[in-house]
Amino acid sequence: MSCRQTNMLIFKYMKIRNLLLPLLLCGASLFLHSCKEKSYIYEVNELEVSPNNSDKNKEKTVEQYVAILYANMFQQALSPDQQVDLADLIASIGDKQIAFEAITAKMITDPDIQLPSNEEMRTDVSSFVTDTYRRFFVRNPTEAEKEYFINYIESRPNVTPVHIYFSFATSNEYYYY
Amino acid sequence: MKRRNFIKKATLAGAATVGVPYILPTGRLFASSGNPMAEHVVLVLFAGGVRQQESMLKRYLAESQGLDIEGNIMYNMLTGDTPELKIVYGVDTADGQPGGMPIDQILQTPLELQGTLFPEVRYSSGSTGHFAGLTTGVSGHYATTQGLQQRPLHPTIFEYLRRHSDAKATDVWFIGNGINNSTPLLNHSAYPGYGSQYGANFFAPNITFGQQGQDYLKGFKIFHPEEELDPIREMRAFLNHTYMEQGFGIPNLGNTDEEKDDIKAFIKSTFERLENNQVAFPPVVDNGDLSTVGFATEVMKWFKPKLTVINMSAVDSCHSSYTNYLASLHRGDHAIGHLWNYIQTQIPEMADNTAMIVMPEHGRNYNSNSITDQNDWFSFDHDADENSRRIFTMMVGPGIDSNLKVGGVGNPIGDASDVVPTIAEILGIKDNVMNAGLIQGNAMSLFDRI
Repeated sequence: MSCRQTNMLIFKYMKIRNLLLPLLLCGASLFLHSCKEKSYIYEVNELEVSPNNSDKNKEKTVEQYVAILYANMFQQALSPDQQVDLADLIASIGDKQIAFEAITAKMITDPDIQLPSNEEMRTDVSSFVTDTYRRFFVRNPTEAEKEYFINYIESRPNVTPVHIYFSFATSNEYYYY
Repeated sequence: MKRRNFIKKATLAGAATVGVPYILPTGRLFASSGNPMAEHVVLVLFAGGVRQQESMLKRYLAESQGLDIEGNIMYNMLTGDTPELKIVYGVDTADGQPGGMPIDQILQTPLELQGTLFPEVRYSSGSTGHFAGLTTGVSGHYATTQGLQQRPLHPTIFEYLRRHSDAKATDVWFIGNGINNSTPLLNHSAYPGYGSQYGANFFAPNITFGQQGQDYLKGFKIFHPEEELDPIREMRAFLNHTYMEQGFGIPNLGNTDEEKDDIKAFIKSTFERLENNQVAFPPVVDNGDLSTVGFATEVMKWFKPKLTVINMSAVDSCHSSYTNYLASLHRGDHAIGHLWNYIQTQIPEMADNTAMIVMPEHGRNYNSNSITDQNDWFSFDHDADENSRRIFTMMVGPGIDSNLKVGGVGNPIGDASDVVPTIAEILGIKDNVMNAGLIQGNAMSLFDRI
């Protein structure tokens, strides 16, 4: 084959390829679009990671505090008269920490208090901890908090639900919402 | 020569030791600014608005109801004969005459003879309202720009004492007659650098140990210190640790855990003593002031405070009942007699080592309002007329001159704001208070006015 013939063959091949390539790409594109749904890429807004109690920065009023405390302890609402009496009593004691602790310590002596038994707590400590956080702090515990309390309760047989409820009800977080 | 040098150096070293400030356990710098005259001070705010006419001037019905009957109805505090007619201020007689039998005198020697009396003192500025007056009494600064339901704008004597001495929280007490008129706000100011961490412990005992206390406090559980309180505090420290990082806490007065336990033990004990009729009430206890003073003596016996301020208020019934006002005035005197007698005879740690100051928070109008009571006697308000700016101050205790009267009608000496620097001088912190520059500009220790 002469050189000229060779060039002609190459030219024909390139011409055919130039025609076929777009046809192949179009076909492939049609094939792909006909077989697959559209794929979307989602993005999220930036969020600042913080402890899940960080939104509680407003002090409860004394009236709010006693009403919520009573509801948490007895699972029923405080009457308006009781609320006024308790608020007055707290106002009559200068150190609010002492007032809150003494009133809570009185409530836990009431036979009507809604408190899990020690046995119930120790049967399922994990659930008890979660329930206690939800009851008093209106949130779930973090893993670290949960682990701390599970370890604490399991390693101290003398710790009872009374002690734990008292700790929560007189803690700083409980005073805020 | 060596001996002389030694004495010289030792003297200098001794003087330096006395003068050099030292660091308190709390980390604060403390330099004593004077020798205390007494270890304890009790300030009785004979509050509610006392007229000079029925107190210092002993005019009974003569300058209020147009009746020519004079006499002294405050004979634990003042000298002078009692009224002879129309006796209404005592307890009921056996045959049913209301108030017809005066209460027995407690102090053989009236306080006027035991101490120093400033019979004409001025409440010189601001409104003659109860909260304004009480604020002046505890802060030494007239509350001219302050509203109700707001803590004092200037530091209180409680805060001065705790900040400038080694006094702890349970060394300072404010005993209120109730919780109205923003009384519970007077135990500390909101002044920067002072505030709640230097505040006084407070009780309104007629509530704390009254029906509300009986219903919601009496019989509260006392946790075992090691077996129960320790784990509770550990768990709460964990709960608070994650939260305190954000700077939030329950309002408190800086009582230590030990002090908190002590206060709870006092509350529990007082309920028990109340139940067993052991609370040291005055012989007659038929109004709120008398029971307040009774509970105040319990506080003093338990804590031996360096400073106790007691607020009475029953005389304010004068807005609508002059008869009741006279009875309350008489009972206020009875309460003060009991208080002084109890300190001297029942609290050995405070006997002969306590100064007491008595002062109304403000006076009362000269002219009556139109309200009459059961005896058809007119009542009196207090709205800043000149008479309502007239008060007295009486003080008694170690280092205080006995049987001394300073000033008088037409020659007023002393100001309501003087009481704070006076207490400061007795407790040895006068320079700290004066140098802080936060009391009324013209206020000065009453000792400096003699």
